[in-house]
Amino acid sequence: MSPLLAIYIVVSVMAVAGGLGTVLARNVVYASLFLLLSLLSVAGIYVLLFSPFLALVQVLIYGGAIIIVVLFALMLTRQGDETGSLDSPQKPLAAVAGLAALGVLIATIVVNKWPPSVDPEPVGFEKLGATLFTQWAVPFEIASVLLLVALIGAIVIARPEDSQ
Amino acid sequence: MNVDFALFIPEFVMAGMALVVLTVDLFLPQDRKHWLPYIALVGILGTMGSVFTIAGKSEELYGGLFLVDNFAVFFKVFLLAVGAFMVLASAEYVKKNLTRPGEFYGILLFSILAMMTMTAAGELLTAYISLELFSFSLYILASYAIHRPKSVEAGLKYILVGAFSSAILLYGLSLIYGSLGTTTFSGIADALAGNDDIPVAFLAGLVLVVVGFGFKITAVPFHMWAPDVYEGAPTPVTAYLAVASKAVSFALLLRLFAMAFGPAMDEWRPIIAGLAAATIVLGNLVAMAQHNIKRMLAYSSIGQAGYLLMGIAALSPLASNGLLFHIVGYSAANFAAFACIIAYENLTGKEEISDYAGLSRRQPFMALVLSGALFSLAGLPVFAGFATKFYLFAAVGNEGLLWLVIVAVAGSLVSLYYYLMVIKQIYLGEPEEDEPLRLSVSTVGLLGALGAAVVIFGVYPGPLINLIEKATAVLPMPV
Repeated sequence: MSPLLAIYIVVSVMAVAGGLGTVLARNVVYASLFLLLSLLSVAGIYVLLFSPFLALVQVLIYGGAIIIVVLFALMLTRQGDETGSLDSPQKPLAAVAGLAALGVLIATIVVNKWPPSVDPEPVGFEKLGATLFTQWAVPFEIASVLLLVALIGAIVIARPEDSQ
Repeated sequence: MNVDFALFIPEFVMAGMALVVLTVDLFLPQDRKHWLPYIALVGILGTMGSVFTIAGKSEELYGGLFLVDNFAVFFKVFLLAVGAFMVLASAEYVKKNLTRPGEFYGILLFSILAMMTMTAAGELLTAYISLELFSFSLYILASYAIHRPKSVEAGLKYILVGAFSSAILLYGLSLIYGSLGTTTFSGIADALAGNDDIPVAFLAGLVLVVVGFGFKITAVPFHMWAPDVYEGAPTPVTAYLAVASKAVSFALLLRLFAMAFGPAMDEWRPIIAGLAAATIVLGNLVAMAQHNIKRMLAYSSIGQAGYLLMGIAALSPLASNGLLFHIVGYSAANFAAFACIIAYENLTGKEEISDYAGLSRRQPFMALVLSGALFSLAGLPVFAGFATKFYLFAAVGNEGLLWLVIVAVAGSLVSLYYYLMVIKQIYLGEPEEDEPLRLSVSTVGLLGALGAAVVIFGVYPGPLINLIEKATAVLPMPV
């Protein structure tokens, strides 16, 4: 086993464990910390793929900004711990469906003939920026409009009714 | 890389007008807010005018990422028209029932921008991010009546199901990219045609994409969010969800399946045909049991999504024409029905089917338009629904999917029952009050225009079909 593969397995197990923890944790704060673990592990995968910039951005934006905002939001909005479970009686059924989908996807990934793998090449900042702002300019611009709409929408929905 | 930015003029105009609406709203005093819909309308009509600067061109920008062709132009003009009707239909409702009209129209214009880029996308990520922009706008609009718990519930349900379906869709896209190594539609088709056997991971990705889109177009069994959201959302937003959201999703699906997935047609045809049949049967059967008119139309629009899916399953030049034709006919009829329901809600605040008892005596014109719209949705002759269904079903039958056509005709017969129940209330029911309902001039104009469209597309569809043929001619068809 090459060292890269070993690191990949460790990082992936951490990412999946973090994801599971996010869903299974009873406490919302623990859940968001598990989410942080998962997101940081994904940054590790970017490092393995020789994309240091993406890894950095992943740590800064997801690990830093987003989890902090989630924690702030929890702190400012929580009115005591959530009592009562939101679980639906269909939980076992959902588990079976989820595991079946997982099984099918794992089988697919094992069986499939993937295109020959290429050795990852480091992507320079310059090339990344140039590609993002020329070739991918359209989706990039749409994404910025999307953020604007989300921002306006959040304010419209959250602002109290009588503050007109 | 040299890009002719003039080809983006319609998108630039629309984005600019959305910002203008949001900015003007800041400076308008409270008693002038009713100008906003007219500013939005000017923006939409201006954009529609600017679409004609790109008409007839055929260009692939950024290596097939953004397409300028007749198909995109056709849908841009059509969806802008839907947007214009949406603004007109919501003007009175928003004034009466919603606060913050500026953001309402601003976000509405952004959603139209998203639809325009969806019809032009020639690449998976561009299509996906446009779809997200569109969905986000709708999440906000669905929960816009924040003082009404049902609207908040609708928004929350919609955003949860929407996020879930987007995740499934995105996972499917990643499998397709991983197995074929490209995300452009034409690149996918080339990779599929070049492979001797189709990669398993591509098929898994395809299924996930179908599931993800299934949620967006309310195909059975991914429809369960629709009735609650349709009932809870502000009524104009429900109309928009039922018409614009379906129309643009099918435009994207048709382009995706024709341009990208065409070579794998044998694999996905049974899946889509099965989904279509389930959607037609369940949508129409459950619609019969509804007593709220918005819920009834929600289930009826699920059934209509099933007819539209047939056009994808058949995928031939004729079936694509039929699909576009049915999208236009369905949109006109459904919007006419919703325009009546919005106007009735503005006047009386009621939305149960039994509340429509004796409408013909209180407001004969509205009764006429609503009945015509419902007859068209059922597919009766003279109205658009008959011509569009006939064309679509015939084209699907031509492709050897006769069993699906039989299911669809049976579904249409069932749908006639619940549409007639409404019409029976309108003409034979005893009204609780006798006082005539007075419609504003703009509402009369709106209902008249939509009602006329329903009849004109039914009796004289020639010019429309000519345009549709030009639009679908750009799509490569599997042989």
